[in-house]
Amino acid sequence: MENSSEDYRIQSFDVDTQKLLKTALKDPSSVDLEKVSNILVDQSLKDPFFSKEAGRICYTIVQGEAKQNNGTVFRRHLLNRLQQEFKEREETRKRSLQEWVCYVTFICNIFDYLKVNNMPLGALVLPVYDCLMRLAQPDALLNEEEVDCLVQQLHRIGEQLEKVNSQRMDELFFLLRDGFLLQEGLTSMARLLLLEILEFRAGGWMLSSTAHKYYYSEIAD
Amino acid sequence: MSHRSGAPRTESRRSFRSSGPSRWSQSRKRGIDGNLRSHSDDDDAAADEGLYGGRQSSFRTPESAGPVSRCARRPDWGSQVEDEEEMRKDVHRDMQRYRRRILGSEPGQRERRASSGSSGSCDSREGETMETDEAVLMRRQKQISYGKNTLAYDRYIKEVPKHLRQPGVHPKTPNKFRKYSRRSWDQQIKLWRVKLHAWDPPAGGSQENSLSDNIEELDLEDMVDIELDFPTLADPQDAPSSSVVEDQDCSATPVKVQKTEDPSVA
Repeated sequence: MENSSEDYRIQSFDVDTQKLLKTALKDPSSVDLEKVSNILVDQSLKDPFFSKEAGRICYTIVQGEAKQNNGTVFRRHLLNRLQQEFKEREETRKRSLQEWVCYVTFICNIFDYLKVNNMPLGALVLPVYDCLMRLAQPDALLNEEEVDCLVQQLHRIGEQLEKVNSQRMDELFFLLRDGFLLQEGLTSMARLLLLEILEFRAGGWMLSSTAHKYYYSEIAD
Repeated sequence: MSHRSGAPRTESRRSFRSSGPSRWSQSRKRGIDGNLRSHSDDDDAAADEGLYGGRQSSFRTPESAGPVSRCARRPDWGSQVEDEEEMRKDVHRDMQRYRRRILGSEPGQRERRASSGSSGSCDSREGETMETDEAVLMRRQKQISYGKNTLAYDRYIKEVPKHLRQPGVHPKTPNKFRKYSRRSWDQQIKLWRVKLHAWDPPAGGSQENSLSDNIEELDLEDMVDIELDFPTLADPQDAPSSSVVEDQDCSATPVKVQKTEDPSVA
């Protein structure tokens, strides 16, 4: 595992915290892992970039702790903190859209990185769906920020999610189709994002090369 | 799905009724003929009950919400993941043991079969037809655990020692390692649960004490489970001494045996 981006992301903390995190990555059992988990969650909720990277850091610590002493202290605290934030998600969303989007990004990132025997964490499946469903509600579709978050998560973990619970994915896509087709007030960017994700799933979680060209290449003059 | 045309969309929206009906819901409540379907929600709700409610209500704890059985998921995510990890480990361990057991029993099985002249023919094929899909095994183990984590099961294993149990008479835990269709497996579980109900504690008994006992016994029961799941050496059909054992057994728990037969006949 290369450390460059982890190191890079850790730069944004103060010196003491940097030291703590570096130790946690190398020798997890020698530090207060509850504290570490709280630092990582707090930062993820504040920093949109960090929330996309934090999964990898968490993965490294979880692996390290398991290797050292078969421990699960960090994972337990991390998940329980995530759960606590999950319960307050509607208030969070009202208070700060950015924090809410960061939360969803973070929990999805954790879902993507942490596995049990190479299988997704069952405990996170329904909560992750709940978050994505929330982003697909009419009021959320009006915020490009939330639409953008929704489709990014689906690009990353949509296929895994569908494998463990396809019924929920069907429900989510009913919402997305309705939103794309019927909702007034969507920006054209939001519609584009929705259309792309609809095509993406319809193609078996892949874009055909022509679709890719349509969505991603510069328009020829 | 016969209601392909309109119902699924309605259904998906209904799950979010809490945030109010969506703005366009009026325009979508039309049948194929284009007429407004004013009563559609009631219909769909009823259909859903049949689809989902029926499956979950009687003998399985719902996986996401609803009443939680006393063995089931601890509420915090950290513990849930630990339980999940544990369960996966157990399934793998069971699988290893089961494989060993098959290997170990095969030659002996042959001899026994030769001398007795009649015996089950399915066990030797077990290796090829073994269920190895982890998801399936975990789902089955969960169902089994729900069945075993009952007062009735505790009473059953206490009252009827293993060597006295009669195939066809007493409930036998379905073998999770055999290949079965989903339907067949669910049916076996259902019948097993029905049979176990014969050992339900008498109404109004002091449930509190035994309740806490059960939780502690859980792990032990899981061990018992593995034994039960291994292919039995005696075949149901050729148990020559059955009448004798049955008599003993009946004298021990006459009422129960009587009772078990009722549901399966009905």
